[in-house]
Amino acid sequence: MSFDINLILDSLPLMLSGFGITLQLLLVSGFLGLILAVLLLLMRLSNKWYLDWVAQVYIYVFRGTPILVQIFIIYYGLPQFEAIRDSIFWNILREPTGCAILALTLNTGAYVSEILRGGVLGVDKGLLEAGSALGMSTSQKFIYITTPIATRLSLPAYSNDVISLLKSTALASTITIADMTGIARTIVADTYAPYEVFISLAIVYMIFTLLIQKLFGVIEIYLGRYTRREE
Amino acid sequence: MSDTPAEPAIKMIKVNKFFGDFQALKNIDLAVAKGEKIVICGPSGSGKSTLIRCINRLEKHNGGKIIIDGIELTDRVEDIDAVRREVGMVFQSFNLFPHMTIAKNLMIAQQLVRKTPKAEAREIAMHYLERVKIPEQADKYPIQLSGGQQQRVAIARALCMRPEIILFDEPTSALDPEMINEVLDVMVDLAKDGITMICVTHEMGFARSVADRVIFMDNGEIIEQAEPMEFFDNPKSARAKGFLDQILRH
Amino acid sequence: MEALTGWWDDYFWGALIVAKVFITSLSLMILFGLLGAGAKLSNNRLAQRIAGAYTVIFRGTPEILVILLLYFGSAIALTAIAQIFNPEVKFVDVPPFWAGTIAIAVIVGSYATETFRGAFLGVNPGSIEAARALGMSTLQTFIYIRIPEMWRIALPPFGNHMLSLIKDTALISIIGLNETLFVAKQAITVTGKPFTMYIVVGIIYLGFSSVVTLVVMGLEKFGNRTTVGAK
Repeated sequence: MSFDINLILDSLPLMLSGFGITLQLLLVSGFLGLILAVLLLLMRLSNKWYLDWVAQVYIYVFRGTPILVQIFIIYYGLPQFEAIRDSIFWNILREPTGCAILALTLNTGAYVSEILRGGVLGVDKGLLEAGSALGMSTSQKFIYITTPIATRLSLPAYSNDVISLLKSTALASTITIADMTGIARTIVADTYAPYEVFISLAIVYMIFTLLIQKLFGVIEIYLGRYTRREE
Repeated sequence: MSDTPAEPAIKMIKVNKFFGDFQALKNIDLAVAKGEKIVICGPSGSGKSTLIRCINRLEKHNGGKIIIDGIELTDRVEDIDAVRREVGMVFQSFNLFPHMTIAKNLMIAQQLVRKTPKAEAREIAMHYLERVKIPEQADKYPIQLSGGQQQRVAIARALCMRPEIILFDEPTSALDPEMINEVLDVMVDLAKDGITMICVTHEMGFARSVADRVIFMDNGEIIEQAEPMEFFDNPKSARAKGFLDQILRH
Repeated sequence: MEALTGWWDDYFWGALIVAKVFITSLSLMILFGLLGAGAKLSNNRLAQRIAGAYTVIFRGTPEILVILLLYFGSAIALTAIAQIFNPEVKFVDVPPFWAGTIAIAVIVGSYATETFRGAFLGVNPGSIEAARALGMSTLQTFIYIRIPEMWRIALPPFGNHMLSLIKDTALISIIGLNETLFVAKQAITVTGKPFTMYIVVGIIYLGFSSVVTLVVMGLEKFGNRTTVGAK
């Protein structure tokens, strides 16, 4: 059982060409998922039982089922319906990339909305009372008091979710997308060298993960500047 | 007690408040004249905080009427907003906004609620920071200030909204002993203005020197009210006597 | 819906496999988590380094990649070893059940390491001191004071780890484990109804995660019976 360095050197550039797709999946799904998360959060925070209930059910379903199943339902399952095939969305839904982004967005939106909700609940109630006493309206309190503090509180958990999202992008390879994992699997099928290929791929993901953690570390320090006593 | 023909600042008529099955306020009747300084004292759980928190609607009363400066406190948002413009509050745990500088803490409500332009808001903020004697802290964050300084900022923040009435909910209870006086000094100074003050506190020295009236509460009811001299030297009810014995013992 | 008739018992056996994987990987995950936490909390620099590498590697690598690596990689390794003894051997297979179960246990175990480590650190040092002052031995303190309190603290995040195990089981279908997603794929080739089949898989997994969530909620209530609501 030899360890073929040449193989690694040959396959790395190939796998890294998939980096663009991985990054695209990560950024687009992450961004759209964040918007969805805020929407779900507002639904859960509204005092309207029907909005709260719908959001809760959505979150329950998307956090309770494997993301692979969600991807398969969207990519393989939806074309079962003529209505889908005839609709304007078909252009997006017949492409594996569109389906992957949709699935990842729907999934991460559910997780992130719970993270944001945790942040909102962590805001000291006394601060909101002070805002009320000063005559601030509900939306003013939410914008100027709750949002800045909840954002800072959510950050650690959110950074973990971004890393989860990165790892989930690898599942796009199961629906024929040529992201880094997809390319790696093709190489392994050709060369029968899983160790070299997969281990070097794992190292790429690990480096990517470390970069994301560093980035969030910097953001956390910036947002937390008012929590430290030094001048 | 002076008889003012003018509308009282605060009028509470048969006010009741329940938390589930527990009755925190029982048939409270209270009239506070404009400019009057009231101290409310009593054992824990007597309803003192609940009473003042009903005045600015941080708690919702379940029965009776509360009328602030002629405006009745109801569920209507316009009424609540109107009342909160007249009434300022200082909290036991200061509740300064940690993510804003001291100056911003004082300016934010002026800008959002009174729509004061930024420059003017800053001027008013600095004016009151000087009044509480810490203008140099304007651009620091709350965490960098001591407890006593933070509470003085909290008082200045309430004053920036030019309230007619200011409520104090145990303002010195969370402070280390050496910082209590700097806050009480500010409150004594404030009492010289015409502002109506209602203060829930255990600081009896403050009550003696500043209060026009001391109200003693126990178990959700007002048991006794009198001028401070009379109350401290000659308490009429047994419960008030017992309470004073307890806290004046050391 | 009629498409499903005849497939119900296949789904049932698939669900049974999910349960088997869960129980096996749960035990392994606890083992890995405790070992990892123990290593990180020990005074042994080497152990700390190894455990550190363990958490970094498996928290930064996509689950699908670990499963593929373990499956293909171990097949190659075992084949090579077998060929030493018997050159006739062409290929030694590793059962997908074991490759997959161990893979997900190792992955979630790396998260569990952090959870257990944090929980051990969260045990009130005062309780430990009191136990020692009362004359209890190190072992007795560990069993009667440290472990129960550690579990109480670890339970909420540990519940999430259990949910991860359940959902990651779907990934093992990729290497041929015949759990429910795998069954669905077969059913689709026969019935041509991908949406229906995958939805059933989703419902089965939702059922599993609901059960796990309820059990965790019950355990949390039990664990907190002496701490919450005491007035």
